[in-house]
Amino acid sequence: MSEAAAGHHEHHWEWSWAPMAVVIGVFLILPLGFSTFFVYENVSLTIALCGIGTPILLAGIAKWVAEGLTVKPLVEGLAGVAIPLFIVSEVFIFLGLFASYWTIRLSAGEMWPPEGTPVFDKSIPLIMTVILVASSITYHVAEVKAEAKDLGSFRNWVMITLVLGFVFLGLTIYEYQHLLHMDFGPSTNSYSTAFYTITGFHASHVLVGLCIFIAVLIPAFKGLENHTFTSSAGVYWHFVDVVWFFVASQLYFW
Amino acid sequence: MKGRLLSAFAGMAAMMSSATGWAQDKLPDPAADWDHLWFEILVDLFVIGGIFAVAAAIMLIKYKAKSPDAVGNGPRLTKVQALAWAFIPATIFMADDFFLAAKGWTLWNTYRTVPENAMEIKVTGSMWNWEFEYPDGTTSTYYPDEATEADKGDGLVVPVGRAVVLRMTSTDVIHSFGMANYRVKEDLMPGRITYIWFNPKEVKNSFVTCTEFCGTNHSRMYAPVKAIAPAKFKEWLKKQADA
Amino acid sequence: MSASTTPAWKEWVFTTDHKRIGVMYLVGSMAAFVVAGLMALLIRVEQSSLGPTIFEDPTVVGDNYNTWLYFHGAAMILAFLIPGLTGFFANYFLPLMIGAADVAFPRINAFSVWLFFVAIILALMGFVIPDTPDIMWTGYPPYSVTTSANTAFYVFTVHLLGFSSILGAVNFLITVIYMRAPGMGWNQLNVFVWTTVAAFVIQLIFIPVLASAVTMLLFDKYLGTHFFDAAAGGDVLLYQNLFWFYSHPAVYVIFLPAMGVLIEVVAGMAKNMVFNYKACVYGGIFGITLLSGEVWVHHLYIAGMPDWIRVGQMVSTLLISVPVGLMVMSLWGTLYRSSITYNTAMLYAAACFFLVLIGGLTGIPLAMVSMTVHLSETSFVHAHFHYIMALFSTFAIFAGVYYWFPKMTGKMANEKIGKLGFLINFAGVNITFWPLFIIGLDGMPRRYWDYEMYPQFEPYHQVALYGAILIAIGMAITILNWIGSAIGGEKASDNPWGAQSLEWTDTVSPPGAGNFKHEIKIAADWTPYNYGK
Ligand code: HEA
Ligand code: HEA
Ligand code: CUA
Ligand SMILES: [Cu+2]
Repeated sequence: MSEAAAGHHEHHWEWSWAPMAVVIGVFLILPLGFSTFFVYENVSLTIALCGIGTPILLAGIAKWVAEGLTVKPLVEGLAGVAIPLFIVSEVFIFLGLFASYWTIRLSAGEMWPPEGTPVFDKSIPLIMTVILVASSITYHVAEVKAEAKDLGSFRNWVMITLVLGFVFLGLTIYEYQHLLHMDFGPSTNSYSTAFYTITGFHASHVLVGLCIFIAVLIPAFKGLENHTFTSSAGVYWHFVDVVWFFVASQLYFW
Repeated sequence: MKGRLLSAFAGMAAMMSSATGWAQDKLPDPAADWDHLWFEILVDLFVIGGIFAVAAAIMLIKYKAKSPDAVGNGPRLTKVQALAWAFIPATIFMADDFFLAAKGWTLWNTYRTVPENAMEIKVTGSMWNWEFEYPDGTTSTYYPDEATEADKGDGLVVPVGRAVVLRMTSTDVIHSFGMANYRVKEDLMPGRITYIWFNPKEVKNSFVTCTEFCGTNHSRMYAPVKAIAPAKFKEWLKKQADA
Repeated sequence: MSASTTPAWKEWVFTTDHKRIGVMYLVGSMAAFVVAGLMALLIRVEQSSLGPTIFEDPTVVGDNYNTWLYFHGAAMILAFLIPGLTGFFANYFLPLMIGAADVAFPRINAFSVWLFFVAIILALMGFVIPDTPDIMWTGYPPYSVTTSANTAFYVFTVHLLGFSSILGAVNFLITVIYMRAPGMGWNQLNVFVWTTVAAFVIQLIFIPVLASAVTMLLFDKYLGTHFFDAAAGGDVLLYQNLFWFYSHPAVYVIFLPAMGVLIEVVAGMAKNMVFNYKACVYGGIFGITLLSGEVWVHHLYIAGMPDWIRVGQMVSTLLISVPVGLMVMSLWGTLYRSSITYNTAMLYAAACFFLVLIGGLTGIPLAMVSMTVHLSETSFVHAHFHYIMALFSTFAIFAGVYYWFPKMTGKMANEKIGKLGFLINFAGVNITFWPLFIIGLDGMPRRYWDYEMYPQFEPYHQVALYGAILIAIGMAITILNWIGSAIGGEKASDNPWGAQSLEWTDTVSPPGAGNFKHEIKIAADWTPYNYGK
């Protein structure tokens, strides 16, 4: 969009196909993919749905990010306040899950942990904590570099953050495998129920955060960097980091 | 309004003293108390609703536009007026709320305080029928879809004149034990025991209906509740135990 | 992307403009209303006679009835009222009322409306898949976990709508905070804007809790976890607590904007300023928002909660009548010394004065725990919430649509047909729902397609069926009137009612891209209700 047009939004109807594409992608993958797999156990249909959904979703996101970086919003910088507001609702979804865990935990009383719970290796959550905190710091450094218009260092620090995030996810998967090996699965008992749900939910947030970083990184290779976008991604990542303290302290050390 | 407030406090005081114990000779009767309180609430709500409804009706008619371009001329409130128009109604509404709360609380205590010497019956709900177990271990059920009366069973049979407390649980999903005639209901859940009590004060046939959604036959999960003379009850229990 | 090169259909289908998104919300929510209304007709037909009515086999009736009722309840609340009020009205009018060119994040706004659309598609797919959902809109476990029906569709419908609403909440709260026209102070906002803000605050905070609850349901059913499984250390009542922790506040997500729309219509058609604006906003709207989160246990009165919790929540539930009362005072006061023009919009609004009393005041005995042990789960509850939702809130929506019809379409709605539709609707709803109060008091249980034990209720159910048929006729007339008038109505001027709010005074009908012809500046003594003196 040209500079002149940006100043005169009122002259034409704005449109974008990106939101619709993302919704269609999500719709095919999540509700339909899940249902065909778990409810109707029709795996080939699941693969077909996800196979169609994924490219649509990715195309939508790519288009959306591209527009976000180039089209001027009506008022600038509002995403910076929108993310904290969105995080309020994220806090409440975690609260819902924790409240359930506390209810189960407290009503069990002395009978905790329930039968079938193996002894946990407490060093893994500690290592994971260190890694996640480190990634928060590295991303902060990246933001400082971006502020200083040093795009090259910015890219490098974002990449370091990405690596740390993936190591964190890798550790989660490693731990899950280890526990499953000891016959401690989601359906084992009430503790495993809460354990897998909450850590899994947190891990999915880590994954989303990493996807956002990738969406920040790719344009950065083309020399594009949007301050609001970068810092919003950071706020989200710090939130994911803070939540981890609760996850780890409540689930591993209580 | 002052009278209201006073009676609200009186209600609370009565509640507190009643918590110490019931008069032995006279069984409380929550169902009758319910009807009584319902009448009071109706009066209360009709007064409030009536005032507002009449006010709306009068203004809706009276302020019909006199000409197409006439505009309203509502009062511009001063600070004091605005505050008064907020706090005075709020206080009145609140007073009424506390009055109702105190009344409701008093009756609630009657509902939750099981009289001594109550006969205890265990109730088990399952998809989709009721099972009643008497203190001596005798059981009774009801299957509405069976052909003959004998196959259907008798449902819940109780003697008049004695409080009955039901200790209830479910084997599968949530059900709810609702006896419209005795103005009482409570859910049955797997893994928990809930209770209600009622006072079958006269000979009467009524029903218990399942009042929590429990699937295909939810609306057919009911059983008769028969309050019969104590002598007849003894006979029935004996017959039932033998069967 | 200039206007001349973009085909018109793209500008509609892929639109990110708040007005067009608003219209999409209106179309979607009305579609949900019609389908859910047809389900209601089936329900009424089935109940109109003892024993099976529509099918022969009781099991077939039972299963179908449960699916209809599930869809009716879920769609009416989640896909009709909430998106109608916070999707359509908020989208179309909030930016206009605060003098903004659009919302803060137009693409996220489009994202929200598409999430809403696919959620409706998912809910409708529920009718054609094997194992149609039958778990009622409340979806209580253990039933929803043990049933063979498809609980996943319910869960994902809630997820999609919930995510849509959360994003909408962020979007609109930011819009109101940062995009008001220069000079517009907090006391110069339309009451409707305030009610929308309050509704979105509630959505933002409470929806996530519902989302967590249904997610646990999904995991319990399909991944074998034990959140709600008492035998394995879970808690049966946990779900109900989390569900109502959102779903009670949700009724104020409906009530508040409905009240807001109503106050706008009354102020505009009675050409009067809102009475005691500050008490309405800071006492009424803020008070309801604050109290809404502390009363959810009144839906669990018979569920076996500890006694002291039931008493505490009885008191706070009753106290809700104080802030509601303050809003009611402002609504009533707005009539005082006004000058009322009776068109269709005002007729619907006038009816709402009485409907809100019946619907609201019948909530009072329900709030009293000792009364509810009899009334809970009976038709009395039905009558209560249909009066406040199907009558009051729905009529408020209709009043709003008629009131803003000229603005949205640039055409006047046909008054004669409109009034005819109103009369039939008003008669129909009262004939349908009054009998439910009566049989409810006598113990008619909810979610019963058969009532073998209470044959004396049959005549009441029959009357209710006749009422429902009347409503269907009235609704069809109303909807056809809108479609017909939008196409062939008389041309409307920019401000046919002579209202004072920005969407009337400063935009053309219908408003074009970018909304306003010129920069809006708000004077210190301006109000959207600048009538009289
Ligand atoms: C828009 C929707 C809406 C609204 C606004 C309300 C408003 C209220 N509701 Fe209702 N309710 C529902 C929708 C709604 N409800 C639904 C859908 C259900 C059933 C859910 C299900 O199980 O499926 C339900 C069920 C329900 C129950 C549970 C019944 C049961 O299942 O056992 C209760 C119990 O307390 C209750 C109470 C109230 C109260 C006290 C209000 C109050 O907010 C009302 C306040 C209004 C007034 C009081 C009138 C105006 C005020 C004045 C004139 C001032 C003076 C008044 C006094 C001093 C009293 N409602
Ligand atoms: C917004 C909320 C809302 C609305 C508007 C309605 C509207 C109606 N509802 Fe319902 N209802 C609920 C919310 C609502 N309901 C909820 C939450 C429940 C509880 C569910 C549960 O227990 O889980 C419930 C339950 C419920 C029951 C209880 C059944 C039972 O428990 O066994 C009944 C029974 O009579 C009923 C009836 C009706 C009727 C007759 C209408 C009528 O007003 C409907 C009128 C509308 C129509 C008839 C559509 C007509 C339109 C056309 C015909 C137009 C076609 C023409 C063109 C396209 C041009 N509803
Ligand atoms: Cu058992 Cu309903
Ligand atoms: Cu409620």
